[in-house]
Amino acid sequence: MKNRLRVLRAEQAWSQESLAERLGVSRQTVNAVETGKYDPSLPLAFRMAQLFGKTIEDIFQPDPELQ
Amino acid sequence: MSTIPIARRYSVPVVTSAALWFALYFAARVLLKRYDLETWPRVAIALAPLVPFAWCLVSIVRAVRAMDELERRIHLEALGFAYPLATFLLMTLALMQRAVTLSFEDWSYAHVWFYLPVFYCFGLILSTRRYE
Repeated sequence: MKNRLRVLRAEQAWSQESLAERLGVSRQTVNAVETGKYDPSLPLAFRMAQLFGKTIEDIFQPDPELQ
Repeated sequence: MSTIPIARRYSVPVVTSAALWFALYFAARVLLKRYDLETWPRVAIALAPLVPFAWCLVSIVRAVRAMDELERRIHLEALGFAYPLATFLLMTLALMQRAVTLSFEDWSYAHVWFYLPVFYCFGLILSTRRYE
């Protein structure tokens, strides 16, 4: 799964630490999501979408290879 | 939630209790070997390491409860690594036992428990690196 988390975070000028604190997760989790090594749970994806004022589809896109 | 990794947040009680257990375990072994005590003092000394061990387990459970979803996954994967490895070791010892008598002091089932946390730590290292 691809995501625009890094771009959205950069737009807000937030560090990974800062975003992690807002989401209630560790910085390692934010980094793993941004680098595509970890796909977040649905509740966490909703929290991310709510935080950035977007829909989940605005942030996460399915991997083109899997479509 | 703090963004300090869970391993660092909970490392003090886990490491302290584990160190205490380790020290008591070896002290109990030495005492039981050197002194010819009555049965009940022997039992008390033999079971003394259980107190810090229980503290260590409680600390680990508290740490897991405070983890976020990725940290829990990492620990689950570590368990998924350690459990089959420990089963493999048990099976090896069981098969060896069929062929030869394994010494309790040297290699036997009694030593498998010691390898469980070692395998678990290996699993943690591997799984953590996977998500870095």
